[in-house]
Amino acid sequence: MTKKKPFFKELSGSPWQVKLSCAVMGLGQLCYGQIVKGLFYLGSLAVVVLYFVKRGFTDFIGFFTLGTQEENLWLGIKGDNSLTMLILGLFSIFILIFTAVLYVSNVKDAMFTARQKAEGKKVHMLRDTLATAADDKFHVTALTFPILGVTIFSVLPIVFMILIAFTDLGGSVVYPKLANWSFSAWSKILSLGQIGGTFAKILGWNVLWAVLSTVLNFVLGLGMALLLNKRNVKGSKFWRAFPVLAYAIPGFITMVGFKFMFSQSGPINYYLDAAGKMRIFFLTNDASAKWWARGIGLFVNAWISTPSIMLMTTGLLSNINTDLYEAADLDGASAFTQFRKITLPYIIFATTPVLIGQFVGNFNNFGIFFFLRGGVISNYADYFLASDTDLLINWLYKLSVDNNYYSIGAAISLVIFLITAAVSLSVYVRSAAFKEEDTYQ
Amino acid sequence: MRRKKLTLRRASDHFFTYLALIVMSAVFLFPCLWLILASLSKTGSLYDFKGFFPQAFSFQTFIDLFSDDVNGLYPYKTWFFNTLYVSSVSCILGTILVLLTGYVMSRFRFKGRDTIKKTTLILGMFPGFMGMTAVYIIMTQLGLINRLESLIFLYAATTPVGYMVQKGYFDSIPNTIFEAARLDGATNLEIFTKITLPLSKPMIVYTVLTQFAWPWSDVLLPKLLLKERDTWTVAVGLFNLPETHFARFAAGSVFIAIPIVILYFCLVKYIVNGLTAGSVKG
Repeated sequence: MTKKKPFFKELSGSPWQVKLSCAVMGLGQLCYGQIVKGLFYLGSLAVVVLYFVKRGFTDFIGFFTLGTQEENLWLGIKGDNSLTMLILGLFSIFILIFTAVLYVSNVKDAMFTARQKAEGKKVHMLRDTLATAADDKFHVTALTFPILGVTIFSVLPIVFMILIAFTDLGGSVVYPKLANWSFSAWSKILSLGQIGGTFAKILGWNVLWAVLSTVLNFVLGLGMALLLNKRNVKGSKFWRAFPVLAYAIPGFITMVGFKFMFSQSGPINYYLDAAGKMRIFFLTNDASAKWWARGIGLFVNAWISTPSIMLMTTGLLSNINTDLYEAADLDGASAFTQFRKITLPYIIFATTPVLIGQFVGNFNNFGIFFFLRGGVISNYADYFLASDTDLLINWLYKLSVDNNYYSIGAAISLVIFLITAAVSLSVYVRSAAFKEEDTYQ
Repeated sequence: MRRKKLTLRRASDHFFTYLALIVMSAVFLFPCLWLILASLSKTGSLYDFKGFFPQAFSFQTFIDLFSDDVNGLYPYKTWFFNTLYVSSVSCILGTILVLLTGYVMSRFRFKGRDTIKKTTLILGMFPGFMGMTAVYIIMTQLGLINRLESLIFLYAATTPVGYMVQKGYFDSIPNTIFEAARLDGATNLEIFTKITLPLSKPMIVYTVLTQFAWPWSDVLLPKLLLKERDTWTVAVGLFNLPETHFARFAAGSVFIAIPIVILYFCLVKYIVNGLTAGSVKG
């Protein structure tokens, strides 16, 4: 392989075809006789130019102005929609970046062909190009679609929401009103007003919930795995079937089912009624429901998540070297000591990443209170568009999807991101200390 | 004396072990049994139940589920085929994409690999549906609202973010196999299709299962993107059933839970492997 020259130095010394490719994407390839590739580049360029002439340029400008023309029904003027303009402008920026990447790849490709020619090798035709795509460049071919998909449907929306957090969109500022870039969402969250107060209350409960549910699920799941692993349990496959059943049932069925079970006219209240007791407002919009609903949430979440933790720890338990236990037996260690000294350290070591994943997952557990207490808004305790069981993520949903408070919702998503990122990162840093993996494996 | 004490201890150990097992099984089995009983109830409303038990039993609800859509309010048959369509297509596409991503990230070293690794790591830290508003607007612009294809695009396109489990599996295949194939002149594409995939059956099964189960039971995205009753998936439909149609909810749930439950029971071995593969590698 020849030593690579610096990009621009090589470019200035390259033949006219390469320079043609620099001027117009694909022309150089056409001149080298690479018809299909040349047409592909040329066609892409035509599409991009057409897009920018037709709407891309206006979209791009709109990204910065967020709309200049307010709707006027009297004069019949169609107004600008700031929300749509923001995302279309962002889209045009993505297209711009994508075009730049394509352009560079086009120039590099022309330079590659020039080098081939200079060394007296055959110029790559379509068949060779396809062969390279299947072999040397397999990673590029294979990752094109995943990256494209993730960029459009995951990265673009997230960047959009990050930007939204720095506008005043939402609340009273929705179409036909025009939005502006501003920090108003942050000052509302951090102030002592109703929104700030709700934020503080929900954040506190959210942290408590994440800790409680992670610990509860882990302890129960590990307990079940140890129980099924006991030497005196016969037919452990049979007993294990019950948690697996719970694991297999789609989560929303479980959650809606439990909602019916604890509803005002559900079976639990039926028996309370029959016993002559007062009905309990388990999940309703009532001040007394607060801790009932929170407890039920913990229980239902455990019902759903413990089986997977049980299955996982069972798999891990079977990996432990049995010699360790035999040696411990010989030394006269009790079952409890064996558990504390051998099983627990290993399990905690092996499941730390999962535990963090569980914590983050529980912190952002949208489903549980969405299904159990959908639509409930507590107005007795000064919550702003939220209920006393809502986690930040539920509040975010109610704000931005149900009530169009876009910028506040987006700011909350960023807060959630900061918290989960901090937790995950602190563990990644620690896991560097876990580099002596071999001690356990 | 000592011997007797030991057996007593043993007996109590047995007793408490099995007591715990029975309690655990009951906790998990009872809600399922309750729903199955409810699906066989003769009257549909939750108000007519005597506690956990229906007043009279019949198969009518299951028949009604498919034959009587209550004036177009609950077209379960349409929902069912919508769900089947979305789940199977996005499962196939998503599996291909995530396997490719996991394989490339495991076997290849190239410029930009670290960027991809870090980006997916960061993407995973954002709350799941943070971009829902944006997704809705994008789909409106693409004219895909009320179209099942919008869901397929979304499910399939976002799966590669979770490639770590697949990568962990591919990491565990010994490198010598690939080197030998390389020496025999196989291209990278051939290595992937003819060597890697046949070796990865457990991981493929796990991936297919999880990729299928996710759209099968997701409520949020369909609820956001499908506004017309005819285009709903089963999950959205069941979610919208009121208490007066409790038996219909139960029957509909039992009907879509059964295939998934059977699959899970047949494939529980693969699931355990997938779960542990994800955990050790992190």
